[in-house]
Parts: sequence; C-alpha cells; structure tokens
Amino acid sequence: MTWLVWRQHRKQALFALLGLAALAAFMVPTGLQMHDAFRRAGLDDCLPAAARVESVRVSPDPEQPPDAVHACQELADQFTGRYGSLGVAGVLLWFLPLLAGMFWGAPLVAREVEHGTHRLVWTQGVSRRRWALVKLGLVGGGVVLAAACYALLVTWWRAPLDQATGQRFLSPGASFDLEGLVPVGYTLFALALGVFAGVLTRRTLPAMAVTLVGFLAARLAVELLARPRFLAPLRRTFPVLGDMTSNKLTSDWVVRAGVYGADGARLRGGVFGNFSYANCPEPPTSVAAAPTTASPCMAAFGPGAYNLELFHPAGRYWLFQGIETALFVALAVVLLLAAVHWVRRRIA
Amino acid sequence: MSVALEAGGLGKRYRRTWALRDCNLTVPRGRIAALVGPNGAGKTTLLHLAVALLAPTTGTVRVLGEPAGAPGLVAQVGFVAQDNPLYRDFTAGEHLTMGRKLNRRFDLALARERLERVAVPLDRRVGTLSGGQRAQVALTLALARRPELLLLDEPLASLDPLARREFLQALMGAVAEQGVTVVLSSHLLADLERVCDYLIVLSAGRVQVLGTVDELLDRHKLLIGPHRDPQPPIAGVVQVVRASHTDRQATLLARTDGPIHDPAWRAHEVTLEDVVLAYLADPSAGTLPGPSVHHDSLEVQA
Repeated sequence: MTWLVWRQHRKQALFALLGLAALAAFMVPTGLQMHDAFRRAGLDDCLPAAARVESVRVSPDPEQPPDAVHACQELADQFTGRYGSLGVAGVLLWFLPLLAGMFWGAPLVAREVEHGTHRLVWTQGVSRRRWALVKLGLVGGGVVLAAACYALLVTWWRAPLDQATGQRFLSPGASFDLEGLVPVGYTLFALALGVFAGVLTRRTLPAMAVTLVGFLAARLAVELLARPRFLAPLRRTFPVLGDMTSNKLTSDWVVRAGVYGADGARLRGGVFGNFSYANCPEPPTSVAAAPTTASPCMAAFGPGAYNLELFHPAGRYWLFQGIETALFVALAVVLLLAAVHWVRRRIA
Repeated sequence: MSVALEAGGLGKRYRRTWALRDCNLTVPRGRIAALVGPNGAGKTTLLHLAVALLAPTTGTVRVLGEPAGAPGLVAQVGFVAQDNPLYRDFTAGEHLTMGRKLNRRFDLALARERLERVAVPLDRRVGTLSGGQRAQVALTLALARRPELLLLDEPLASLDPLARREFLQALMGAVAEQGVTVVLSSHLLADLERVCDYLIVLSAGRVQVLGTVDELLDRHKLLIGPHRDPQPPIAGVVQVVRASHTDRQATLLARTDGPIHDPAWRAHEVTLEDVVLAYLADPSAGTLPGPSVHHDSLEVQA
C-alpha cells in the first residue's frame, strides 16, 4: 500500500519539495540580510525592552533627547521602511494551504472515481478502509511535514519585521496567518476539505471549486468572527487631555480603539480599519488663560474624554495560535473521518 | 462446495429505481457463465454486488459459499471492471508490482509470462497501449491472484474483433490451466456462444433465463409449420417464446420437453443468440424454470 501511495503521489511530493526549495532560495538570503540589518541597527537590543513599555508620549519633546522607546521606534521605522515591502510579498503565502487542498486533496479520491480505478484498487487484497487510512495517513503526513517546514521558514524569515512593526499578533494581518502553528492547521484542513469534497462530488473539478470556496469561507469566518472572541479582550485607557498614548511596539493585538466621552459614549473610532485616537495639548499653565474655558480641541470631546483600547496582550499569541490550530485540525479530522466513512459505504 | 455464485432475493435500488430486483440465481463451479442482457439490465450492478463494491438493498449474494465482502473472499475472487480501468500513468510492470504489494497471493512469474506471451511491453505506460493490450493487462492482473472465481464486466466491449478473439483465447487458456470459474457480462452473443457453457439473461433488473447452454439449446427448437389462428397446442411444446407468421406459414421459437413428432411441424436447431433474443424481445415470456435447470447441473457437477 505504501508503495502504491508513493507511486501515485511522488510527483506531488516532488512539486512540494521544489516549491519549498524555491521558497528557501528566496527567503534564506533575504532573511539573513534582514536579520543582519536588524542586529546592526541595534534593534535586537532595544526592542525587547521597548516592547515592555505600555504607554508613550505621542510626540517627544524636541528640546529633550528622545527617550529609549522613541529612539527604538525611530530605528524600527527605518527598518520597516527598508524591508516592509518584502513582507508584502509574503502575503502570497496565504494561499499555499489552498493549493494543497485543491491539487492534492480534491483529486485524491475524485480522480480514482473519474477514471474508474477505484474499482481496480478496491477489489485487490486491501480493504477500502485500509486503503483510505494508509493513503490519507501518508499524504496527510507529507502535507503536515511540508507545511511545518514552510511555517518554520516563514516564522524565522518574518521575525525581524514582526518585532519592528509590533504587528505579529495583528489580524487581519500578514503575520499571524503565516507563522507559527496555524499554517499546519490550515493546510491539513484544506487537504481534508479537498478529500471530502472529492468523495462527495466524485469529480475533480467541482471538488476543487468546493475546496476553494469552503476554505476561504472557513478561514475568513474564523479570522473575522471567531478569533477576536477566543478570549475576552483586555482594556486600557488614556486621557484625551495630555500626550500619552499606547506603545505600538508591544505586539499586542488591538481589536478596538476609539475616543469615548466621560459618560462612556463612543465618539469616534471602532474596530480594525476604523481605529481612532485623540490627544489634546494640556492648557498652558500660565495665569493668563482662564481655567474655565476649555481649548477648542477639548471642547470637541468634552471634559473627561478618554481613548479606549480593547486588546489581546502579546502574551496570548501562542495561546491563540494553539486554539486556532486546534480548531482547524479538529475540522480536518471530522472531514477526514466523514470521507473515510463515505468511501467505505457510499461509492461503488 | 460446488456453487460459485448464488443470489437470493437480491435487489439493489438507486434512489427510486431498482437496478436489480428479486434476483435468484446460481452459477455452479467450473462453469464459464455468460451474463447477458440489454444495457441497464443490471449486469454491472450484479457483478458489483458480488465483489462488494455495492451493498445490496434486499436479499443476499454469496460467493464461493461466503457472503460477498467476507474478508477471506477477496483473495479468491478476481474482478475486472468495465472498460478495464488501469492507472494510465503506470506501466504494465508497475501494475504487476501493485498487484504483488496489495495481494497476499500474487503469481508474479505467471503474470510476466502471460504478458510476454501476448506481447504487452512491461515498461510502457498503459495509457499508450492499445485497448486490446490494456484488456490483457487487466485480465493478467486478475488471473495472477490465482482466483477461484473470475468476474469480468464487459471485457470485450472496447475490443475490435481480432483483439476480442485473442482475448477470449487467452481467457480460455487460463481457464484450462487454472480451472477457474468465470462469469463474464457482455452483449456480444456470437462471441460468447463459442466459449460459454452457462447462461444468465437479465432483463430490466430480473433474471429471465438461467441454465447450461447445452440444455438451453437442447430444449429450444425453431418450429416451422402452418399458420392457424388461434394456434392449437403442439405435443412436446411447453411454451412458445416467440412467434411470427406469414399468411400461411408460422415460425415459432418454442421451449420443448421432448421430441416433436407432429408431422405438420419441422423442427430446427437454434443458436444461443436466437434463444436470448427471443426471450429479450418479450420480457413477459416468463423465466425459464431455473431451479430445475440448475438442479440438474448441480447433479452433473457432483
């Protein structure tokens, strides 16, 4: 059985290997370059300390030497300016799991049925159950291995960018979906979805279409609806009056940011894409200004207005990775079991 | 144990339509049985039920004395599905490797020798082989498992007349060497008459004719005589399966239970094709009394 699986899928294995090699050929040199530039800029020294500071001044006092966080932010911005465009190229990797689902998963059973070869192979001395389990086990194992290699590579490659932008956890964003454990979960899910769709439709092309639509739907639903609710977000506030705001280098995932009045009503801002902050300068302490007249800036928000951030702290990153991976692996297992059941019962 | 294939009340329904209904039949061991019938008669369904690719809706099917799908059976039953499905990008040699890896019993030497004899190259992708060569590869793959029962679904359908003859010769040779029981479905009656000694006619999901070819030919006669309306009974004729007439002369295909002595009628021998077509032309012509026929044949076997 192992021989047969290898014989049937060796081309796909070769393509995966070539794909990984091409990815490595691009990522290893550029990654080494990024890591080196990151170190030479001193970012690996300043960022860990800077990431622990929760609030910073909006704009540093030009007369004073910049504080450590702003100095580090400055370096990080320079680094991001230089290498950020590479990170954008990495967004293409978002679709890699889909390829596994469409080109490995969908034809796995559907192609056999289309060519009638299921009647050849299911009447040999190997039970359908064993056929399905060995085939899915080996192909699934190969896919998981390939996904793990790719995830390791991408995680290493993007690490400097993630630290410099503080957006490792941000979602929707490039990093969380491409790094750590989740790519393995996504890839296994895509494969299982493809296999299941192939068993259901018995045709490769419709199965590929179902895989495409199903994968996008599941990914977006989890990313936009479920992931922000894995745990209740924490909250932190900064008064509008004054120049303190949140530190962007913390790698926290801000899910909501806005300006709220003293009575708690939202004045501006909201979810990702609609974030809003406000800071009004403190009135000069000179006696000339009447303390009763608020500045025009403050008048817009009313006294006692504050900035509110709901966020998942950076420390939850791996927990969220684990939850999301487990979710997709569980979906994959359900789909695979259903596929094996249907192979045993329904198809002839 | 002398029954190779046995169905009792066997039925298979796809959604609303019955592909096979209330099917009772027995194929004794040692026979080369032809399974014939028009398209959609249920031939493929019956074979798929026998190799447990399908599960029956009603009734049972037993193969070599065991229920279809029993774990031990798979090694004893060789099956070639319709259109000789093979992995197109595998070579013939790779198919043999597959057979060896997937089956506990697989006679690789026999398979190689067979393919060599029919001049099928082992190192070419089967997608590039001719239809006849592919059929030989599929048959070899089934025979190399040294099965007791060989089930072939329309093995001749895609072959030209020459390839058909070669295929049947190869099959006959294998039957003689290995003593395997064969059930093959086909609608090419003329080809079957030369090789088959047992006949199952399926029509619209039911068994219409069942019995040994010798008996069928023996018991059916083509009678030519005067046309009268209504036709009076003829001594020795059990049933008129099919009748046609001109103004003065009637031609009857009749089932008989003895010699026809009536001088008004001349009796002629029939071909298998005549018998089958006569029954298929009239689905209500009734089923041959299968039990008595195959009871006889069981005794012959024993």
